[in-house]
Amino acid sequence: MTQATPGSVAETTVVDTDVHITVDEERIAKYLDEPYRSSITDSPHPVFPSSSWDQRMGGKIDDHFSTFTDPEDIQQFQADFQIEYPIINTFEPLGKFSQPDLAVNLMRAYNDLLLDVFLDDYDFLGLAAIATQKPQEAAAEINRVADEDQIVGIYIGTSGEYPPVGDPSNDPIYKAAADNDLSVVFHGNGDEFMFDFPHHNKGFNNYFEVQTLGHAWQQMAAMSSLLGEGVPAKFPDLNFVFLEAGIGWVPYMMHRMNKIYRMRRSEVPLLEQSPEEYVRDQFYVASQPLGEPNNGDDMKRLIETLGADMLMFATDYPHWDFDHLEEMDKYLQHYFTPEERRKVLYETPVEAFGLNI
Amino acid sequence: MGDHTIAAVDELEDGDRKLVEVEGREIALFRVNGDYHAYTNWCAHQGGPACEGSVTGTAEATFERDDLTVSLDWCKEGEVLNCPWHGWEYDIPTGDCLSKDGTRLPSHPVRVENGSVVVSL
Repeated sequence: MTQATPGSVAETTVVDTDVHITVDEERIAKYLDEPYRSSITDSPHPVFPSSSWDQRMGGKIDDHFSTFTDPEDIQQFQADFQIEYPIINTFEPLGKFSQPDLAVNLMRAYNDLLLDVFLDDYDFLGLAAIATQKPQEAAAEINRVADEDQIVGIYIGTSGEYPPVGDPSNDPIYKAAADNDLSVVFHGNGDEFMFDFPHHNKGFNNYFEVQTLGHAWQQMAAMSSLLGEGVPAKFPDLNFVFLEAGIGWVPYMMHRMNKIYRMRRSEVPLLEQSPEEYVRDQFYVASQPLGEPNNGDDMKRLIETLGADMLMFATDYPHWDFDHLEEMDKYLQHYFTPEERRKVLYETPVEAFGLNI
Repeated sequence: MGDHTIAAVDELEDGDRKLVEVEGREIALFRVNGDYHAYTNWCAHQGGPACEGSVTGTAEATFERDDLTVSLDWCKEGEVLNCPWHGWEYDIPTGDCLSKDGTRLPSHPVRVENGSVVVSL
């Protein structure tokens, strides 16, 4: 345990593993071929589904999202939040689109936009958007963009993707990622809770209930599917990253999957070690949204259980439930060594994404 | 430590087992492929009566990365003991737990002597 100097944040190199750029529908349409372009620009019905939940409570929480659209916005964010290396993604979860061909074309369009606007003329790091509706098309897209040095992983939603991400039909995606040394990043979404858990989405009466469960349920389902199908055993060189569900669910899952595995090992014979070992060897978890225990010592124990080799920092900026660096750093500075802190903020994401920075 | 005769040599066929009490401990004698194995009836998980569980085979899998196929094989038929409480698997010939590395059934030396099966505790 150490007590670092307050205000020393700026002296630390920080990798932010989850920064979203906002792309409005008119803008992405320009990167689409016909008939997909017109299906977005000319349709009287919204093509992008919405759950209708009021996430920002009638404007009580400011909208940082709508204006976070250009490289200059990211640079301003870097200065304001003291983030040296933002790993940016195009946010939109592609599993929610019912038309597989539209999803595939959107995948390519988001990546073209990411390269064209954000990566080609700037030194940002980015994640390639992947739609899982047609796994062979996804694999081809991974091969297409993997040569770009600034692409450091692939970005898959866990909110509407069907079948579940570990299903063997998705193996071409994991093989392509592994062949190209790209990490696989999973990201859940509150608005898309309606696709995975429609009964609960309909039954809940306020967004408190949805937001409490949404990302965690989605990521738990993804992790369970990955382990249950032996994906980390099939691709032992692949790293898996989980964003935006906080960290408390991970110890629960490691321990519970160990228990179920030992009862039902012959059901999952691809696994040659305990689920916890696979998670600790190949999985990485971003901090945001970090839970808020009433007693800080509880968070200390949680972070210790995960360990600095698995834990990374993320802001989730510009979304309305972002974490400032201070949220993570108050625990790191108060309870952990400078070496552990450096791992969480820098070295662990460097390892997770194979960053050359 | 003492020697105890727990069965006659012609008493068990391959695949049979016999549960006996020796010095207050429940000991299970298994015969697999002509060999005898003796274990304490105690699962390393939660102390369940592992040696009273079903004897089956188990699944193995191999993954072919080139064509992304998984091959499932049923193997070790008659050699896998399943604890009846929670299904922890033990390899009867070695006593090794298949469910958790580094865990095993408490084993006891067993030998055939003058037509008897003798276990040392």
